[in-house]
Amino acid sequence: MKKSLCLLIVLLLAFTNLTANGNKEAGASDAANQSVELIMGSWRTDDAEQMKAVLGEFTKKYPNIKVKFQPTIPAEYNSTLRLQLEGGIGPDVMYARSFATGIQLFNDGYFADVSNVLGYNENYSDSNKSPWMTKDGVPFAIPFAAVSHGIYYNKEIFKELGLTKPKNWDDFLSYCQKIKDAGYIPLANGLADEWDITEVVFMNIAPNFIGGMEGRLAYDSGKKKFNGPEVVKLFEAMASLKPYLPSGYEAISYNDSNALFATGQAAMYFDGSWTIGTFADVDFEWGILPPPAPAGSKSEYITFHADAGMAMNTSTKHPNEVKTLLSWFGSSDGAAALAKYLPTGFFPMSENSVVIQDSHANEFLNLNKGRGTDVRWAWPELLAGEPSGYTLMQEGSIGVITGYLTPQEAADQFRAGLAEWYTPAK
Amino acid sequence: MGNSINKNRSFRWFIYILPALAIYTLFMAFPILNSIKLSFFTESGSEGSSFVGFNNYIKLFTHPETSARYWSAFRNTWVFFAVHMLVQNILGIIFANFLSNKLLKGSGFYRTIIFLPATLSILVTGYIWKLILNPQWGAVNLFLKSIGLGKFAIAWLGDPNIALIIISLVSSWQWVGMPTMMFLAGLNNIPDDLYEAAEIAGATDFQVFWNIKLPLLKPVIGIIAILTFVNNFNAFDVVFSMANVNGAPMFSTDILGTFFYRVGIAGQHPVGIPDRGLGAAVATITFILLSIGVAYIMRITKSDKGEV
Repeated sequence: MKKSLCLLIVLLLAFTNLTANGNKEAGASDAANQSVELIMGSWRTDDAEQMKAVLGEFTKKYPNIKVKFQPTIPAEYNSTLRLQLEGGIGPDVMYARSFATGIQLFNDGYFADVSNVLGYNENYSDSNKSPWMTKDGVPFAIPFAAVSHGIYYNKEIFKELGLTKPKNWDDFLSYCQKIKDAGYIPLANGLADEWDITEVVFMNIAPNFIGGMEGRLAYDSGKKKFNGPEVVKLFEAMASLKPYLPSGYEAISYNDSNALFATGQAAMYFDGSWTIGTFADVDFEWGILPPPAPAGSKSEYITFHADAGMAMNTSTKHPNEVKTLLSWFGSSDGAAALAKYLPTGFFPMSENSVVIQDSHANEFLNLNKGRGTDVRWAWPELLAGEPSGYTLMQEGSIGVITGYLTPQEAADQFRAGLAEWYTPAK
Repeated sequence: MGNSINKNRSFRWFIYILPALAIYTLFMAFPILNSIKLSFFTESGSEGSSFVGFNNYIKLFTHPETSARYWSAFRNTWVFFAVHMLVQNILGIIFANFLSNKLLKGSGFYRTIIFLPATLSILVTGYIWKLILNPQWGAVNLFLKSIGLGKFAIAWLGDPNIALIIISLVSSWQWVGMPTMMFLAGLNNIPDDLYEAAEIAGATDFQVFWNIKLPLLKPVIGIIAILTFVNNFNAFDVVFSMANVNGAPMFSTDILGTFFYRVGIAGQHPVGIPDRGLGAAVATITFILLSIGVAYIMRITKSDKGEV
């Protein structure tokens, strides 16, 4: 028994040695084309198949570079990535969060400057580049994917009740009332998971209330007060949603909301473009509405959020191969592969982007026409301290809907919280 | 010569505890000491960690946001613990009392039912209970509506006043089998002649329970109190599966476990950069609290004779 085990081990060792030698010889005969495997880090565990297809296209063009997609679950990506980078075992190329979170990794020396990636300057517009740039204009990641926000609506319920498209926020509320009177749930959203009320409702409608990017910059420069009348109005709008949420909305989770809309019980649903795929198989017609602006607004806005960039590890062993990959993403070939395989609702950001096939994804893109776009309000400046603007928006939104805060109190709390660390709020 | 053999023998016991000692040191003592050490350091990226003295502790108790969250989690953990002591452990002792009745038919069946939830993952039971309590299609509210009590069909996990109690009750339901089994074992250890003597003296069932069973179960009560205390102050998963890591709604179900997770492991969404030093400070304080608590419970529930 012992002897045979020994023999087995010896044989195994000999075999691995042989194959290893074999590989070496194959490599030596073609030294110029040494095959390289890159590891790609990501938080998109749902997209493993799609990214495999995209990266497969890349390897077709560059047969010597293989890329392995190695995602972590979204909620733990930032901390896992940091641990990996600190331990020197970070991926060669990785998804990068926009703004403060990404900048921090660049400042700590883990993200490389990507300004010399071939085609970087030509392939991306300035507004697309800026979310992954430091304050001094050093790009730490190439723009990769954006998401949009809007209101999903059930076309059949709208047809039945003779509804079309709400003109403004008050009109939208009257739509909600009509839908409620007809026995449907007007809005599918709930509070249980918290992030969704913040990211897909509050930040979805915010640009319309604060005046898009120009408005946002006025807050950051200290021209407008964080508890000013527009912010109070925004929290009032959040509070006005209360009667139209599902019964027991306090304990309705994001998945419950998806189910309420998908089963036709709810007529409208504030959400992001990434959910398009979830409703692919429902048995009714649906479409996308832009978030309504308050009555009398001169212009309308869409939250078109820079979601994922692609960064390069400063200590990668294969910098040239990583740069080849990064520049390919922006090229017409790469953008075509992304448009084809990226899950619907994630929009490639290269100027070379080809036409997207999915009709609902195009509906989202069409919302941008004639409207201003901006990223989610909290992202550019308000995440860099504690309590973060995100947390304050969340507590305020939940507070006004549940009635624990008045809109004025929510706005005051928003400003007071930011004032603890953010100078323009003082 | 005989002497040296004796000497060898007297140290031989050491060899037997060596494996346990090694595992304990490597996987228990070392991480605890390391985490205490970490609580005096800060970690900020490429600069590596630097010694900051008691700054993490000072931040934990003086930074308004952080300390408010810490004390709210601290309070909630005590509520969580109180519900377990009152519901889980008292039900445990009642169940054990019934199950130890030799006249009870099918006690094996009841024992299995009571113990069954403890064998399931809390992530599974938490999720199932979340579905049962769902305000739209949960069984509880559908039932209440069908018997005409629709006004009581509320969002059980959405009301900050009751969400924590509900979650504690689910956790008690899950683990009630543990104290039941331990009390049952304790009851089976009580010599029969005591019961016979009580019967001859004409004691009622309640008198038997109060004057014989309960005093003799004191050491078991102590062990169960310690286990409940330690488990509750380290709990995380039931809140994670039934609410979220923020302790929704409005931090009302935020316990020390979820607070520690947010601070030390995952970081606050969406930035998600943890402060490990601060997290270690939270863990260290919990560790000290547990040590004191365990010592205290052991003291007050020590059997008078010093044995079970």
